[in-house]
Amino acid sequence: MADKLDVKQGTLALMILRTLEVLGPLHGYGVARRIEETSKNRLSLNYGTLYPALLKLEQEGCIVAEWRQSENNRRAKYYSLTPAGRKQLAREAREWHQTADLIAAFLAPRREAP
Amino acid sequence: MKQLRAALARITGFFTGHRADRDLQDELQSHLDMETDEYIRRGMDPADARRKALLSSGGIPQAAEAIRDQRSLPWLESIAADIRYAVRSLRHSPAFTAVVVLTLALGIGANTAIFSVVRGVLLKPLPHREGDRLVYLRHSSEGAGGSNLSFSVPEVRDFREAVPALGGIAEYSQWFGTLQGDDDAIRLDMGLVTGNFFEVMGLTAVLGRLTLPGDDGPGVPPVMVLSHDFWLKRFGGDSSIVGKQVRLDGNSVTVIGVLQPAPFFPSRVDALLNMVISPHHLSAQMVESRIHRMTQVVARLAPGATLEQARTEVDAVSARRREAFKEAYDPGSRFEIAVVPFKEALGERARLTLWLLMGAAAFVMIISAANVTNLTLMRGVRRERELVVRAALGAGVARLRRLLLTENLVLTLLGAGLGALIAIGGVRLLTTFAARYSPRADEIRLDGTVIGFTLAVSVALALMLSFLGSLPREGSFGSWISAGVRRMTGSLRKHRLQRALVVAQIAVSVVLLAGAGLLTRSMIQLSEVDTGLVGETEQVLTIPVPLLDPTRLSPAADAVNKELYDRMRREIQAIPGVIEVGLGSTMPLRRSMIDFDLKAEGKALVAGEAIPKADVRTASPEYFRAAGIPLLSGREFSSADQPGGARVVIINQTLAEKFFPGEDPVGKRIAWTGEVLRFTPFSGEWRTVVGVVGNTQDGGLDAKPRPVVFMPFVQEFAVSGGLVIRAESRAQELAAGATRIVRAIAPRVAIENVLTVEQIKDQSIAPRRLNAALVSSFGILALLIAAVGIAGVLAFSVSARTSEIGIRMSLGADRGRVQRMILGEGGVLLGMGLVLGVAGAFFAVRLIQGLLFGVAPHDPATFVGVAGLMGAIGIGACWIPALRAARIDPAIAMRSE
Repeated sequence: MADKLDVKQGTLALMILRTLEVLGPLHGYGVARRIEETSKNRLSLNYGTLYPALLKLEQEGCIVAEWRQSENNRRAKYYSLTPAGRKQLAREAREWHQTADLIAAFLAPRREAP
Repeated sequence: MKQLRAALARITGFFTGHRADRDLQDELQSHLDMETDEYIRRGMDPADARRKALLSSGGIPQAAEAIRDQRSLPWLESIAADIRYAVRSLRHSPAFTAVVVLTLALGIGANTAIFSVVRGVLLKPLPHREGDRLVYLRHSSEGAGGSNLSFSVPEVRDFREAVPALGGIAEYSQWFGTLQGDDDAIRLDMGLVTGNFFEVMGLTAVLGRLTLPGDDGPGVPPVMVLSHDFWLKRFGGDSSIVGKQVRLDGNSVTVIGVLQPAPFFPSRVDALLNMVISPHHLSAQMVESRIHRMTQVVARLAPGATLEQARTEVDAVSARRREAFKEAYDPGSRFEIAVVPFKEALGERARLTLWLLMGAAAFVMIISAANVTNLTLMRGVRRERELVVRAALGAGVARLRRLLLTENLVLTLLGAGLGALIAIGGVRLLTTFAARYSPRADEIRLDGTVIGFTLAVSVALALMLSFLGSLPREGSFGSWISAGVRRMTGSLRKHRLQRALVVAQIAVSVVLLAGAGLLTRSMIQLSEVDTGLVGETEQVLTIPVPLLDPTRLSPAADAVNKELYDRMRREIQAIPGVIEVGLGSTMPLRRSMIDFDLKAEGKALVAGEAIPKADVRTASPEYFRAAGIPLLSGREFSSADQPGGARVVIINQTLAEKFFPGEDPVGKRIAWTGEVLRFTPFSGEWRTVVGVVGNTQDGGLDAKPRPVVFMPFVQEFAVSGGLVIRAESRAQELAAGATRIVRAIAPRVAIENVLTVEQIKDQSIAPRRLNAALVSSFGILALLIAAVGIAGVLAFSVSARTSEIGIRMSLGADRGRVQRMILGEGGVLLGMGLVLGVAGAFFAVRLIQGLLFGVAPHDPATFVGVAGLMGAIGIGACWIPALRAARIDPAIAMRSE
């Protein structure tokens, strides 16, 4: 529990979009579970973090929601990617890779004296 | 794009909040359920599973709140909540809301309407190009008709030659004629103008062209420019009229264009023509005589020249010519020329009345604002407990202030909205009213500026109201609450403010009522003025019949006209119910258009005395009896006074007293005199006075009696004419039949203004009646608002002092004593207001002196009456709270604390 991380601003949207891309339509609980699993339980999402992010993506038109029957027979609100959401995911993923490379390059151990 | 979508979604979210709330609850619930299921599946006890799921949720209500903020616009939601709250709390005090909204609406409505009129008529720039550089030249003298004398053509020429400060000088004379249509004929009010007129005035055509210098002089075809409203009214805005011919007094005239909408002075015109239409205007008499004054002058200041320069130069010219042409400027008459900005000349008749109304409306606004402030203050004190509790529960002072502001904004904007509706109606009403006084009434609009002004006033008022009431300071709620909030500390100051506001309301009401009283008394005095006519004025009908064709001035044409007049007289005489029909140049109570210098045989003028003038009128033998003009001595005209017979006249009492004081005028001789006679069909031979008739109020009930000479209708050229019909009962019923007879005999003549003498009399009272009615309604409004104000303050004082009164009563004060105490409290306020009001009125009424008639500005009866009325209403208003105080039950009053 000690090494739980806060979700970095802006990264949650990317995680949600990627989760929906990989797993297809999914409810909020499923999204939360998947993100926690992927992060090897280093991240934990409470409702107040997850649902505003979902709502924001919905308002931006990246995802759409509809009520469906879940696998174990409960009614749940399923979110799925829209074409706009796919594009948004591709763009954000690219930007994130670039940023990560950049930061990695900066933080790499010094090889030679200047 | 993304942001835009999100913003749109949020705005939608604001309106669909309720539905989404339920959806959200369901979604969070299903999350919780699925998570619980999961834990149970992993082997947990259901209760533990539930607890663990709840724990990991991080708090459902907090999440719901975060989502709600994200979904919609939180600030908008809180404003909407404020408005909902404001509306709810106002609905809970309907009387307060109604009084405040109505008071404000009346104040704002009256002010907006009247300010719109003031702006349109007095303040707005003229539609003319550089209209502020236009000046009007007013020629005046002390003689009859001297307040606006006009100029002669040689006089205008003087200005052209010797006043460089006037860059362009345009001449304009008023004229009228009959425009013949296919199946009707109407009177056309015209301006005859020089070719440079429109260039000088800075006006342009909306269609066709305007007159040019090439249209001046003889030998050019007559052309006509239509005024904009006449074009719309008569020709329905038909643009094909340009280039067409119309028939005017038997002449064919080409319409060359339509003028932009523009005000005219001294009065409105239907059309403007070049001078050639009137041979008289091109005649040697007109062009060369220095005293043949028929021309109005409008000029444009030369570039760089000032009004002062123009005045100095014009004065120099008139001084010079008074020396050079002594015979044309009788020193006793004091000729003067004023150079007035054209805009001022246009506004001069309306100015005093409009500022009077503006002042009255502003007073009403002051009273309304005072009243609203007072009511709001009182309500604020009553709500102190509620507000403090809200603050203590965490609303915060800023939030409370915002709440108050929202409430006050809702109130003032409701007032302003209703006020705007009142203003729309008011402007319509006032436009007809203003048309009597100003040629610019068409320009009155309820425009954006005025509405903006209204809104600004209401927002300012709301701000003021919101910051007037004191709110507890942050951190001091505890002491407020523990003090029970009922304590009146801090409100002593507010108390004093409230009282001052009530005193001001009463004082201002008294000033308004004094003005209203004086104007009403003036109106009554005026309507009681004796017209000088005997018999019922309702039984006398007048029909002016302008038979004269200015293009045919021969004696033969005159004989034909006289024959027509006599036929009309005989045929109308035959209508059952007609007692008498007379013919005359001018209708009773109307002023004659013509006056001349007059001399009496054997009477020399004292040196320096102005040459006496008298109005010229003609009358048939029946005229005096038909009109009801009493014969004082001598005889009326008779059928023996025929053309070619002895020249006889009848004079009125004023002239008799002026020329023959203490003598019998009958048998004396008088004669017209002066250069002007040469240009008229009237001769200067001696005429014998055969009778004296009583004075009548010609030209208005407030007009001074004027010297008048009547000549026999048949002996003189009929420059104008009309029928005076005395009936057995109401003459109005004869109007249709008599007009039909006249139209049958003279089908090409415009018959207008068929009025009973009663109606003519009423025309001179109507404007004053309207003034009096408007100011009185403002006065009554003020009175009512002030009464509500004083009653409200006392009621508040009673409720604040409930426990004190309870103690007094339990200590032995009886009901009468308590009642007197409250009445006394109100009486002090009332007395102070009355004293201040009477003192204020004493100064304020001087401003309206010019609008009074037959009543002194400091008329004691009016002042006493007004103070008495205000006092009585005020005491009545105090009575209600005093009664309530007397009914306080000491037991209940003391328990409530």
